[in-house]
Parts: sequence; C-alpha cells; structure tokens
Amino acid sequence: MDAFVHGLVSLFDLHLLLLIFCATIGGVIIGALPGLNATTGAALLLPFTLTMEPVPAIATMTAIYCSATFAGAITAILINTPGTAASATTCLDGYPLAQQGQAGRALGMAVVASTFGGIFSVICLMLAAPLLARAAYHFSPPEYFALTLFGLSMLASIGDGSAIKNLIAGVFGILIAMIGVDNLTTVERFTFGSYHLYEGIGFVPVMIGVFGISELLVQSEKLHLKREVIRMKSVELPSTKDYRDSWRAILRSSGIGTFIGILPAEGATVASMIGYNEAKRWSRNPKLFGKGAIEGVAGSEAANNAATGGAMVPTLALGIPGSATAAVILAGLMVHGLQPGPNMFTEQADFAYAIFWSMMLVNLLFFFVGLRGAKIFARVTLIPVEVLWPVVFVFSIVGAYALDQSMFDVWVALVSGVIGYFMRRYGFSVVPLAIGLILGGMLEQRLGQSMVMLDEKWWLMFTRPLTLLFLVLTALALFGPAIWGRLVKRRAPLDSTGE
Amino acid sequence: MTPPTDKPKLLGQCERWLIPVLILAFCGATYWVSTTFKKMPPILKRGIQPSDFPQLLLLLLVLLTLLMVWKDPVRVRDRLMGSTLGTIALFAGFAALTSIDFFLALAVFATVLALFWGERRVPVLILVGLLVPAAIFFTFDQVFEIRFPRGLLTNIWYG
Repeated sequence: MDAFVHGLVSLFDLHLLLLIFCATIGGVIIGALPGLNATTGAALLLPFTLTMEPVPAIATMTAIYCSATFAGAITAILINTPGTAASATTCLDGYPLAQQGQAGRALGMAVVASTFGGIFSVICLMLAAPLLARAAYHFSPPEYFALTLFGLSMLASIGDGSAIKNLIAGVFGILIAMIGVDNLTTVERFTFGSYHLYEGIGFVPVMIGVFGISELLVQSEKLHLKREVIRMKSVELPSTKDYRDSWRAILRSSGIGTFIGILPAEGATVASMIGYNEAKRWSRNPKLFGKGAIEGVAGSEAANNAATGGAMVPTLALGIPGSATAAVILAGLMVHGLQPGPNMFTEQADFAYAIFWSMMLVNLLFFFVGLRGAKIFARVTLIPVEVLWPVVFVFSIVGAYALDQSMFDVWVALVSGVIGYFMRRYGFSVVPLAIGLILGGMLEQRLGQSMVMLDEKWWLMFTRPLTLLFLVLTALALFGPAIWGRLVKRRAPLDSTGE
Repeated sequence: MTPPTDKPKLLGQCERWLIPVLILAFCGATYWVSTTFKKMPPILKRGIQPSDFPQLLLLLLVLLTLLMVWKDPVRVRDRLMGSTLGTIALFAGFAALTSIDFFLALAVFATVLALFWGERRVPVLILVGLLVPAAIFFTFDQVFEIRFPRGLLTNIWYG
C-alpha cells in the first residue's frame, strides 16, 4: 500500500508532469505520422531517455506507447490509413462515418473509448501485476525457462507474418542474442575476434534498425501514395444515444483488450481485431458494421488501448514483453539497470507504481489532447514522407550512436534496418526478432540453471507441475491453431449441409 | 515514381527458393563456427556447453525452414523498386561519408534522400539537411553531453 501511495506522490513533480504531458503530445504526433507507430516511436526515443532517471525515462516511453496507440485512430478515421496496425479495424467504420460528415463524432467516440479502455487496463495492471509477481516469486529456473519458452511460443501468432515465419524470425533473434561472451561459462561465441562483439549486439541499435530504418525503406515503396484528409469542424463528445449504443462494446472490448494484452507477445493489433469482431457479433445492428457503425469504432479503440495496460503486466511482473512496444520498454528498463520480474514489486515497488500512475495520467491526458487537438494533429498526417523520413533517419542514427557513443552501433542499426526490410518483404515479421533478441539470453541462462539444478536430467522438468503446465501451454500455442484449423475444416462440410 | 504493375514470375521463383537456401547456408556456416567454441570441463560447464544452445537453435531453424518450404513458401509481391534500391545505395554513401564527418554525412544523406524522394523546395531542403541535423547535434552535445566522432565539421566545434 505504501508503494501505491509513494508511486502517486512521486508523480507530483513539475518537471515529470511536464515531461509526461510533452511525451503524450509527442506520442499523439508519432501515432498520427505516416509510417510511425508506438513501437518505432519508443525505439527512436529510447536513447533520448538515457540521461534521465528511471521513472521519467520509462514514464516517457509508456506515455508514447499509450498516446500513439490512441492516435492511430486519427489517421484511420480521417484518411482511411491506420496510423498504427492496431487501428486497422477503426478504419472499417471510422472512415465511412467521416465520409458521411461525422468525422468529429467518430473521433469523439474513439477518444472516449480509448480513454476508458486505457484506464480500465491500468486498473487491471495495478491489481494483476503485483499478484502475478507474487505468484512468480517462488518460481525456480525450470519454471522460468518454461515460462520464457511459452512467451516465445506466442511469437508464432503475432505480427503480420505467418506462424512458421514468425518462429524463424524469433529463433534468428535468439541466435543474435548468443553473440558475445557466454554469461554462464565466459566463453566467446560468434565474436570473430572483434572487441565490438565481445558484449554482444545491443538491443537498442537493432530495434532502431528493424523498426525505424526498415520502415524508411518500406516508405520508399509508397512515394506514389497521395493522402487526403477529410475536413471536420471539431471533435464532438458522443451523444447519449451513442453511449447507449456503444457502452457494452466499450466494456467488452476493454476486458478483451486487457486479457489479450496480458498474454505474452500478443498486443493491441490482435486485441482490436477481436474487440471489433465481438462488437459486431453482439451488436443489434451488425449490418451497419463496415458502413459507419459507431460501435465498431468504440469496440476497436477500447480494445487496442486496453491492450497497452495489459501488455505491461507480463512485462513488469515476469520480464516477458506483452507486445512489441512493451519489448522496447523492457529493453529501456534493462538499459536503465532495472530488472523486470517479481523482484521489481519487492525491491522497486515505488518505481513500478509510479509507472502505473503515469500510465493512468497519460490516459486522462490524451482524452483532453484528443478532444482539443485532434483537428490540429490531423494536419500532421499531411507532412510529406520525403520530408519526414530523412528527419527520422537522422534521429535514428544519432539515437543508435548515443547509447554507447559507438559508430559500431550505427552500422548495426543500418544493417538491421536493411535485414528488417527484406524480412518484411518476404513475409517475416520483425517483432519476433526483437523479442527473441531480448529473451534469448534469458532463455539460455535459465536452461543452464535448470540443468545444474536438475543435475543435467532435463526430463525431470516434466515432473514439476508448473513447468509442465507452461510446456503444455507452449505446445498448445505452437500446435493448437493448426490442430484447431484441421478440426474446423473437417466440420465445415457438415455445417454447410445444414443449409 | 510509379508503382510496379507486373509480377515478375521468374524473379519470384528465384526469391522463393533463394530465401530458404540462404537461411540453410547461414545455418550451416553458423553451425560450423559453433563447433570452434571452447569446450568446458564437466566441472565448469554449468549445465550445458557453450555450443549446445546455439546448435539446438540452428537445428530448430533448419526444421522450421524446411517446414516453411513445404507449408508456407516465400511469396514475392512485386519487384524491388528503384526508389528502395536507391535508398539502400544512399546508406552506403552515408557510411562512406562518415569517414570525413559524421554530421556532414547525416546532412548530405538527409538532403539527397529528400531530393531523391521528390522534394524540390529549397527552404524545405535546408530545413531537412541543415537545420534538423544542426539542432539534433547541439541538443545531444549540450543537453545530453554526447560527444560525437571527430571530423571535418565537428572539429570546428570541439576545437
């Protein structure tokens, strides 16, 4: 309880409040800019937080995360281009509403639903993270190994790549994490005699490369695209009828988004898809969906913002990222010398609660920023890519250099960017690569510790109930969708005969 | 710049097979490198040898790649666009210019990239190629106290 209050009190600092406010506005701008999203924004801004204390640094990144996730709705509604992948479903009804001259109404609902979803998930985060951490406090290396493996297995279903390609990208990320001196035995691996590789490849330059520079190359394919913003007078708060139509969808999607966010590696994109589908399934007017249903906007936006708080639960309580942006925040925590996991809630509880409260504040802030500023932020979307992306490149390169003041990191960022671009071109998502890189070292360390603990009899892992549970969940995450798909396929002809 | 319209069938076929072959070659080479790691005596090996885990991962990568060829082969949407290849070439130019000066390289790259992507307004080019890099340099130098590599321009500031 002390930490709960101390965390709140630590926010009463003018500099910190100003920083969170600026980060919220920055996040909204990032989310509205073409090609930029919460993950890229957090990766690019991570080096700027290096000289800050941990609370302001991580609060800045979480502010970017929450507000950029919301801001994706602005471009989704006004130009039919989701600012972030999580807002793709918002386009389906938001843009038709804008075409009908109701852009302000759609944006108003997006603001309200996002704020509600965000606050709901932060409350869940405050309740669930300490409980989860307490449960995980007694985990031994085998449980941790199986849990990390489960987290990695969830990579199969994230991103825009297929399951197999996601896993390939994830394994590639873990392999990159093997570069450098082995922590267990101090043996050099894949260093090729270079002292630059002695401590391994840094998370930050790789993330700047795969999220920032690869996106620059993706944008180079879209130079012919013309964007047009639909005009609107102002953002309107939803009417009583809109609330009556949408409150169920908002509540449902907030729950769905939080739950999906808590699942390791699943983020706002999956949450918004499920939130939107469920809003449609339970709606009284499902036929209106896709033509301008306000419930569609509410369902999608509440879910994607609820996923932000949910994603922070495994990130802080277990050290396993709940989404791609949470992976960048996890890297930020590590860069600042913090160790996410159960100990965070015993040894750095004040810090954890300060982050929770800052997320709550950001969700309240973007309510006002969204209502008052969406019209202005909509113009940001018109910044030409030929102006925006050279500037982003300068930021990326200076950011990659700044971490260790090393030109080697600049080359790592550039090479990662080119590799990331080709991965995306051939259908491999770069998110599993980043998460694999972060969790790879941890996974090996825990396997080694487990082997020592179990006297090198790895099969004894199956005799530990929790380890077995996580291994079963891993198997389900990997093979469940394929088995389910086959079962559904077999049943399909039977269903069709019923017509 | 105009978007590509035709799907290059031959290129698509090549890339479809080229990617798995590249991954398998990478696995082979990396496996060979992993066999050169030092082996620890049993008392010091702490559960697993340094090469065990990477080798396990490489085996997994080979299996996944074969599964990909069978179940989910690489599909190519369009041919690589000139603007993308040109941008990658500009990266190489940036890398070469950093040997003269880091910020000069950034300024030149930003200006040339904006020009290459179609920006023609001189004030905007000055903003992108001069003002933004200068603002970032002074912010990092003065606020974050980051020292950048010495070069033609940075020497003027550092003295």
